[in-house]
Amino acid sequence: MFTLPQKESRKPTTCPGSVSTRGLHSIYGDGLEREAARKPDQKLLYGVGDPTAMFSSDSPHLSSRGSIIKWFWDSAEEGYRTYHMDEYDEDRNPGGIINLGTSENKLCFDLLSRRRPRSCVDVGDSAGPHCEGILREEVASFLSFYCKSPAPLKPENVVVLNGCASLFSALATVLCEVGEAFLIPAPYYGAITQHVYLYGNVRLVCVYLDSEVTGLETHPFQLTVDKLEMALQGAISEGVKVKGLILINPQNPLGDIYSPGELREYLEFAKRHALHVMVDEVYMLSVFEESVGYRSVLSLEGLPDPQKTHVMWATSKDFGMSGLRFGTLYTENQDVATAVASLCRYHGLSGFVQYQMAQLLRDRDWINQVYLPENHARLKAAHTYVSEELRALGVPFLSHGAGFFIWVDLRKFLPEATFEEERLLWRRFLENKVLLSFGKAFECKEPGWFRLVFSDKAHRLRLGMQRIRQVLEGKSQVAEDPPSCQTQEPRGPHR
Amino acid sequence: MSIQSRSNPSDIPHMSDGQVWDQAFRNHSIHTCLMEMVLSLQQAVADHITQLATRHQQQDLVPEEQGHNQPIWGQEALLGRLMFQMVNHLQFGATGGQKFQPPCPSEDSKGDVRSREQAQVSKQIYKIFYQLTNFEDTSINYVLSNRGVETSALYHGSFQDYNTYQGNKYHEDKNTSGFINLGTSENKLCTDLLTERLSRSDMNYIDDDLLQYSDWRGQPFLREEVAQFLTYYCKAPAPLDPENVVVLNGCSSVFSALATVLCDPGEAFLVPTPTYSDFVFSAHLYAKVDLVPVDLESQVSDANTHPFQLTVDKLEQALLNAKLEGKKVRGLVLINPQNPLGHIYSQDSLMEYLEFAKKHSLHVIIDEIYMLSVFDESITFRSVLSMESLPDPNKTHMIWGTSKDFGISGFRFGTLYTHNKEVALAMSSFGYLHGISGITQYKLHRLLQDREWIDNVYLPTNHSRLQEAHRFITNELKSSKIPFLSHGSGLYVWISLRKYLDPCTFEEELLLHRRFLDKKLILSCGKTFMCKEPGWFRLVFAATPLLLKHAMQRFYTVLVEQEQDWVVKQLEDAINQEVEDLPASDASQSYSREVILTSGLEGCCSDLGL
Repeated sequence: MFTLPQKESRKPTTCPGSVSTRGLHSIYGDGLEREAARKPDQKLLYGVGDPTAMFSSDSPHLSSRGSIIKWFWDSAEEGYRTYHMDEYDEDRNPGGIINLGTSENKLCFDLLSRRRPRSCVDVGDSAGPHCEGILREEVASFLSFYCKSPAPLKPENVVVLNGCASLFSALATVLCEVGEAFLIPAPYYGAITQHVYLYGNVRLVCVYLDSEVTGLETHPFQLTVDKLEMALQGAISEGVKVKGLILINPQNPLGDIYSPGELREYLEFAKRHALHVMVDEVYMLSVFEESVGYRSVLSLEGLPDPQKTHVMWATSKDFGMSGLRFGTLYTENQDVATAVASLCRYHGLSGFVQYQMAQLLRDRDWINQVYLPENHARLKAAHTYVSEELRALGVPFLSHGAGFFIWVDLRKFLPEATFEEERLLWRRFLENKVLLSFGKAFECKEPGWFRLVFSDKAHRLRLGMQRIRQVLEGKSQVAEDPPSCQTQEPRGPHR
Repeated sequence: MSIQSRSNPSDIPHMSDGQVWDQAFRNHSIHTCLMEMVLSLQQAVADHITQLATRHQQQDLVPEEQGHNQPIWGQEALLGRLMFQMVNHLQFGATGGQKFQPPCPSEDSKGDVRSREQAQVSKQIYKIFYQLTNFEDTSINYVLSNRGVETSALYHGSFQDYNTYQGNKYHEDKNTSGFINLGTSENKLCTDLLTERLSRSDMNYIDDDLLQYSDWRGQPFLREEVAQFLTYYCKAPAPLDPENVVVLNGCSSVFSALATVLCDPGEAFLVPTPTYSDFVFSAHLYAKVDLVPVDLESQVSDANTHPFQLTVDKLEQALLNAKLEGKKVRGLVLINPQNPLGHIYSQDSLMEYLEFAKKHSLHVIIDEIYMLSVFDESITFRSVLSMESLPDPNKTHMIWGTSKDFGISGFRFGTLYTHNKEVALAMSSFGYLHGISGITQYKLHRLLQDREWIDNVYLPTNHSRLQEAHRFITNELKSSKIPFLSHGSGLYVWISLRKYLDPCTFEEELLLHRRFLDKKLILSCGKTFMCKEPGWFRLVFAATPLLLKHAMQRFYTVLVEQEQDWVVKQLEDAINQEVEDLPASDASQSYSREVILTSGLEGCCSDLGL
């Protein structure tokens, strides 16, 4: 049985009660030292994110929040910037960087561009509700169909804006006061930290998951209600007010899919504590293993607390159109829908893009008969290729037949289990012209995990994997004493 | 800090005035009075908390002491929530108990004036209701945060008219009884040109790059195009640098993000008023930045050579007052050409304002969104980017967008040009939240690139159509002796309807606004621009001649009715006074007041060369 550690051990910080001060060091600030200082049998269960603890330099031209915001930009964009200065191109720059770090689906541009949208030019009307009304109807019917909702979803519960980042920002603002927090199982898509902070000044309390399978757990990085409870209690004991829980399903970066049973447990937990649940289902149509049996939260009969369950979806991932900036919220709570819509003035999308989106979502024949089968087949092929390469390299990884990425365990390639070493390895990849994402960016508490995006064209993947192999083979000889990590065999698509 | 009074657009002057209280007590039940008290209490608490928070921010606190801020935040949230609940309970009680009916815009408000007494009562109730509009949507709500509740209420208070309009738009064939919107500043004169240009085949390009994540500051090709475009049209002395360009989905977003990176919550910008209402809104909604008004006056005097003139003295005074109130002012917001006044700042005045800002190390945000809508050839507009040497280039930030100058507000495009790299980088983070579709970015890039079409087709046509529409409206206004301000730029005229208000208050202004709505005509009233003087309206003329004609018919109908009601009221007052056997001093007083009012306006007209 999984036993709860003593209370002291899950205190990652010093002074309870003092919140949002710079004295409060979060996992961001001194995670490394704490990691090292902890006894091996103790687990770090949660951490309260505090963006103010992350930077030190003040600017004469910026406000203090402006300086933090700039810090976000400077730190997060490092790899991306390097990549942009030296992008790989088959003909023009074959020695350039291959990007296996950004989660984008580059496999289906041909399908998308062949389905040329008819053009609609309606230039006026800042709010463009005539388009928006149609689009909301299309979204409702689209989600009813693909999420298999028991009853048709209603257009008035739909809010449309320019991407899920905006949705996180708007939801954080209308659900939380300044300094309040959301729970989020970590590792998670790290940009959310920034989205909820920029305007909302809302923090994230990480529910740390780890690779070790203990007690009744059946798989690595498993989210359990116990862990949620402990993180919540921990945050409360520090004086942090938690207003909601963020779930990503299919999970990013783990590729996990929550079963309906698990999902219901998490929702019940949230209801018990009167928490909102934001379910980010941005990869819902990118489940390429049929046998996985993905279930949207909108398909559940009798949600525990429908008024506090808010579902997010976008076309960025499932239609490989991250540049189009389209995201949507489905919530039965009219107060939330209205409040988020009030902020749409700042998150609007062009009238004609709305029109084109409506056209695309309506084209059920093309989606079902052309796009989805082809997309899934290509994802599967790319996934098969990369996982075989990894197996050949003897690298353990997690992947569940959903999403565009594989969560790769490179712990044995770190001479020391620290985030510095993780970053060094990441740099070595970058120097060898392949961009990956390191685990720290996802608030993973175990150093040595990387996210590898496989949804790219075969020739780029081949080259990317070659470059990874070069680094690891050069590197693995250096690592004299690989830490005793259990090797995860890739879980088959049997779940 | 969740309840700010100053920068709140639907705020009206305080009810602390004793007369109002007395009147209210005589006319209404205890419910209504209680409601007012609660509101005042709420305001008091909010102010107190703001002060507390400001003081804490100003002091250099040792880390342990900072912890004490937290209880204050908590307290604030709790108090705020309690207040909201009380107001709601009371509002509910009052509505059930007596005829506390919120006036509905679509209802005929003639009922108000059917009998003198009834009108008086409904006006009082209206006054109270108006104060409550901030809270009308706040059904006891544990779901949303306080700021969430406030956001909803503020939005619906401010955009109610617009939404009504969207549901029932005027159409010359299909819906002649629909709303005519001369309230929203949009240029609808050139949609034919734009539709044609945007339908050309070069616009329908799609490639992989447009569908993927791009640089969050905007696609490099668009930022380069914007830099070149601004270099050319702003007549910059040296080519502008694409690295200094940030592209977001609209100028509201640019302003909101800029306010966030330049100010901490509760800090402030100076803004000459009347000013564009959306900035009031944008400062408040997300950024929680206050706007400190620099009140300008219509009266012409020695120091004020033209109506609503901005002078450095007034800036100094406003800054001083703000400092005395403990406000931390971080910048100055200028709009040039001005909205709603249509002013253009001369290069000398602009330089004075910039020097003032430099002296106090303030940022200057200058919005030049109407820079290509200067349709009077005799006027020379000078962009801030055209100046040879800016006093403080690192603190001068220019905003532009295509919404007004190209009449494509539905495109959602706004851009910032700043010499300050740090500000540009901090702004970049907001690309996540205010990003534009790659496809839209491509179209904009093509549009801005087509210099030949812009110079030879679009701008000349647009300007001549604007001139024509402007001539029509100004002739109408002149012939009906309505004073107005307009300087040959922008899409609107700033008109004074003070002589139709009696008394000349913001409540009366709002009632007149409602009357226009009853006749399905939308104008913007001065209050939404934070204008200090009641009775001003902004009328947008960038619409087709036919629509303008219809609109003016409705406009006159309302004014005639308003005048008739005024006469009736005067007579009734006179009769009442005779009955009460009082000397007619009141009547003569109002007569003399009328004379002053009219002569004041004449002065204003003559100054404009009317």
